[in-house]
Amino acid sequence: MNSQSQARQIQRVWQQGLARRQFLKWGLGSVATVAAVAAGGFALLRRSPRDAVSRPGWAADLSDDEFHLFDRAREVLLPVAGTALVDSAAIPVVQNIQRTLNYLDPVTRKELGAGLGLLDNIAVFTHGCRFVDLELPEARQMLDRWGEGGVLQRTLATVLKQLVYSAYWQDPQTWQPVEFDGPVSDKWGLSYLGNAPLPGPLEVSAQETTV
Amino acid sequence: MSSPIMKASGLEVHQATDVTDSQITLEADVVVVGSGAGGAVAAYELARQGKRVIILEAGPYVPSKAFTEDFTDSLQTLYQDHGGQANSSGDLLVLQGACVGGSTVVNGCVCFRTPDFILQDWQRDFGLSELTEAELGPYFDEVERNLSVHDNGEHEIARHGQVIREGARKLGWSTKPLRRNIRQCGLTGHCLSGCKTERKQSMLVTYLPWAQAYGAEIYADTRVEKVLTEGGRASGVEAVVTGQDGIVVASLTVRAPRVVLAAGAVQTPVLLLKSGLANRSGQVGKNFACHPSLLVAARYPQPIYPWRGALLGVHIDEFMHPDKGGFILEDGGFGIVEMTMLAEPGTGEPFMEYMANARDLAGLVTLIHDHNVGTISWDGERKQIDYQLSEADFPSMKRAIKAAARLHLASGATEVYVPASDRRIIRSEDDIDDQVDSLENAPQHLRMVSYHPQGTCRMGADPLQSVVKANGETHDVAGLYVADASLLPTSIIVNPQITVYALATRIARQMA
Ligand SMILES: Cc1cc2nc3c(=O)[nH]c(=O)nc-3n(C[C@H](O)[C@H](O)[C@H](O)COP(=O)(O)OP(=O)(O)OC[C@H]3O[C@@H](n4cnc5c(N)ncnc54)[C@H](O)[C@@H]3O)c2cc1C
Repeated sequence: MNSQSQARQIQRVWQQGLARRQFLKWGLGSVATVAAVAAGGFALLRRSPRDAVSRPGWAADLSDDEFHLFDRAREVLLPVAGTALVDSAAIPVVQNIQRTLNYLDPVTRKELGAGLGLLDNIAVFTHGCRFVDLELPEARQMLDRWGEGGVLQRTLATVLKQLVYSAYWQDPQTWQPVEFDGPVSDKWGLSYLGNAPLPGPLEVSAQETTV
Repeated sequence: MSSPIMKASGLEVHQATDVTDSQITLEADVVVVGSGAGGAVAAYELARQGKRVIILEAGPYVPSKAFTEDFTDSLQTLYQDHGGQANSSGDLLVLQGACVGGSTVVNGCVCFRTPDFILQDWQRDFGLSELTEAELGPYFDEVERNLSVHDNGEHEIARHGQVIREGARKLGWSTKPLRRNIRQCGLTGHCLSGCKTERKQSMLVTYLPWAQAYGAEIYADTRVEKVLTEGGRASGVEAVVTGQDGIVVASLTVRAPRVVLAAGAVQTPVLLLKSGLANRSGQVGKNFACHPSLLVAARYPQPIYPWRGALLGVHIDEFMHPDKGGFILEDGGFGIVEMTMLAEPGTGEPFMEYMANARDLAGLVTLIHDHNVGTISWDGERKQIDYQLSEADFPSMKRAIKAAARLHLASGATEVYVPASDRRIIRSEDDIDDQVDSLENAPQHLRMVSYHPQGTCRMGADPLQSVVKANGETHDVAGLYVADASLLPTSIIVNPQITVYALATRIARQMA
């Protein structure tokens, strides 16, 4: 069986999974369930040249596939040519994503990983290769189409985008070109007002009056 | 009783790092669960009556001075589930503060009294005949005075508010300055990351230090897991103390004849469900409403700098009454990270072009009077928030988006971005119907955020239809009270903090 027909088979399993659940739950929960059904099949899907490259040491909390997916998504989602914006290669985008994912509870984290694996692999039967190997314009078109697609596609496209966007824009290096001020209170020297006075009689202890 | 002593700044808080015993048992007259709007107010009122009060707060104590004014960082440190709390479809972010002071620490300071037509619904439909405007008026007066609530002055209406107000004037729509609980606003625009210089009159700088001045003790990092009863009466709570590294350092029991639950509209019902209490009606966790809100952004021909100035300036109340639409619009500032979640201008270059012009954007927050169609449940391991915008509410949502688009255009915007998963841009009045009518009420289509979860332990006169009485005590368990946003029997359209403060004050006073 070639990888495309394997992918189709996986999609069938996947859709049956959704049908059984009567389309009741559309979120990452359902993504995870169907992805888990298909998980064995992913291993058989088309390999990417990136598979030969291991993730860097700091990316210990991501799988190799996740690292490659996020790094490719960074290139797809954050083009800066012709703008004054900072090149995403100079920003620790994938590190920031890893940090966000580490805040997730283990179940949601697993579900998310499965969902993103699905996004990467499902391109095989629409484009003949994984998402990470799509040319940039194709990858962008795919995400635009997914934004208009079914619930599952919308969910995965939105999750991927929001992880990458916030990982990039949270870095202070990205703020200056758009004139975002960032933290200002200390910069402006704003004084601290302290606790509000008690309604009614008040006695602030002497040693604690300095703010 | 001696005069109360209050710290000039900050709080004395027992934290996980202070714990030396793995099992702690405490005694009090009242144990309050949660230190947000309802918990802090109830704790102060009870401590002032001379009661020994212990406040248990699941989140950490982060003093104002440690706030970073960095939204991503604040989501991770100050918010429930590190900012990731969502409904089960993942298309509605349910934001709640989870730190000492609760959501009041990160809220936008907007203050509204409960609209009278909402109170009338409560009287008529839930037998809450005592909750009239006349009865609650003095409580509203008092909490507003305590919290320095005032109409925004002209200097507190940022450029985004000014353009919106001008557009509303052209359309002839009723617009008013928002009222906010803030002293000498620093105009930083960082409300949602906590107010570093202690100007926002959140619980962190008001009712909590005041409660402490009257002897209340605050325990942070302490999550209540179970409410205890003896002979059908509340008798205390069991909790765990967890360090910032996630390691449980102690179990803590508080014995108290009165338990006040104020863990917010998601966690309070979870706690009751876990404890198997107060649910004869089957209504615990039901009737969840949340004012699903959208931030409709638009691009202007001139710089707006949506992050500069007070976060929220004016509101349009033209459509507030359900007969006129049942929604309000508030002009809302935002920072650069929030901007990435607002619009879908297209993947790649269009998105980066949209971001490159960030300074030219202004936003309108839509709030609708949603029906109480959601449910909070507990499966033994995890809580679940099941909420989808109901078919009955979808038309209100669309009306609110259309009004926001019209208002932006009248205010001079050149492009209005519909916050959906696909690319929808409105450039003229003619585009509005096309772009909005074709929206589907399907999961993951609209990018919704809720700042106002409510309704999951509703008040009412009938013990078979509601969880608590008008005095806040549960119908089923004597001595067990609820004093947070879970109480509200219907959604209230407007921002709820003042409603919660007033109800918590009344409940605590009646408890005496
Ligand atoms: C970002 C944001 C902006 C907002 N803006 C506004 C606004 O401008 N105006 C307005 O009126 N309202 C606003 N709100 C809403 C308002 O702050 C809330 O309605 C109000 O604070 C609700 O009060 P509460 O007591 O129900 O819960 P909260 O204030 O959320 O307090 C609940 C507390 O209980 C703690 N807790 C939870 N579970 C447990 C447990 N098991 N054990 C111990 N502690 C527990 C939580 O950590 C939390 O600190 C905003 C909210 C948010 C999140």
